[in-house]
Amino acid sequence: MVQISLPNNSKIKKGKYYKDKTNSKNIRKVNVYRWDPSDGKNPRIDTYEVDMDNCPSKVLDILNKIKNEIDPSLAYRRSCSHGVCGSCAMNMDGKNGLACTKSHSEIKGDINIYPLPHLKVLKDLIGDLSTLYKQYESIEPWLKNSKKDDGKENHQSIGDRAKLDGLYECIMCACCSTSCPSYWWNGDKYLGPAVLLQAYRWIIDSRDEERKERLKKVADELKLYRCHTIMNCTNSCPKGLNPAKAIASIKKMLATG
Amino acid sequence: MENNRPISPHIQIYNWHISSLLSISHRIVGIINIIVLTIICFWISSLLLFSDSYGAIHSFLNTFFGKFIIIAIIWSFIFQSLCEIRHLFWDFGYGFELKTSNITGLIVIFGSFILTILTYYLGRGFIL
Repeated sequence: MVQISLPNNSKIKKGKYYKDKTNSKNIRKVNVYRWDPSDGKNPRIDTYEVDMDNCPSKVLDILNKIKNEIDPSLAYRRSCSHGVCGSCAMNMDGKNGLACTKSHSEIKGDINIYPLPHLKVLKDLIGDLSTLYKQYESIEPWLKNSKKDDGKENHQSIGDRAKLDGLYECIMCACCSTSCPSYWWNGDKYLGPAVLLQAYRWIIDSRDEERKERLKKVADELKLYRCHTIMNCTNSCPKGLNPAKAIASIKKMLATG
Repeated sequence: MENNRPISPHIQIYNWHISSLLSISHRIVGIINIIVLTIICFWISSLLLFSDSYGAIHSFLNTFFGKFIIIAIIWSFIFQSLCEIRHLFWDFGYGFELKTSNITGLIVIFGSFILTILTYYLGRGFIL
């Protein structure tokens, strides 16, 4: 259901203000979404003054600096810090992306950091992605091939392999799905761009033998056709992929048979 | 505990892009056009019923407010048509690259205003 306003327990309050203690002249204000599951209060926005003279270039570096030097209670996911694992996906400056690849110099004014939109918050910047993972499982993202394992390679032509370019690079960071208004309103039924891109990745794989079954399974008013080509997914993908095009390709395959 | 988890902010904080802005306005204009078409149908049927009604509506549409409504209707029809053409290309699988979709989006926005002005003046030339 379309629900524009946030429910009462999700309304954001003003939080604490952490003044700079380093006497640095190069200060930036960083507003971070905070929610602590243990105190039963509403989410709040804490503001940190960060010394930018001693801070590396990415938004994740700012968060690390806050956690290490100002407020150790801040919770967020991060792992590889090179844009490969997809853990540090969050909403920065009104757009989803990976904190480890987003430069803070690209952001004008105060830096606003929120968790990925329209998720149940576990703590601070950590959202609950279990629904998305269940949907990912539902498309059976593995090769279905009746060939017996005879120890030989499963050949694919260069052309067929090229069809997987722009699809296999997806790191499942969920930036696209959580940027999609359709996924906000119908996230329980609509599969969302990330999962549909993966669905297409297996549909188009020349080695997979269940293309028809896969297409039939995904051809559903809610699962697939809730995509209205809003293109927020393509706009937000930190790997430069195009989920909107992948979804359109599925629709086209279904329409042309 | 589980149910008490807040929902992270979404439409309140998410930036608008050309594509998302066009998508929502396309929908709104679509609904407006349904209403407008219904009213036009009633207007045309009323012409069959009363001879006076033509004069009444004609003079209303020639007022400042009437002209504003006519121009708004022309814009909403053209805007939706252009959006639909853009969607047609998408349905054929073209125009999904970010740059292309931004350019076509801008064409729709500016094109709708330019075509509105053209249609209004050309239309007046035909009628009068």
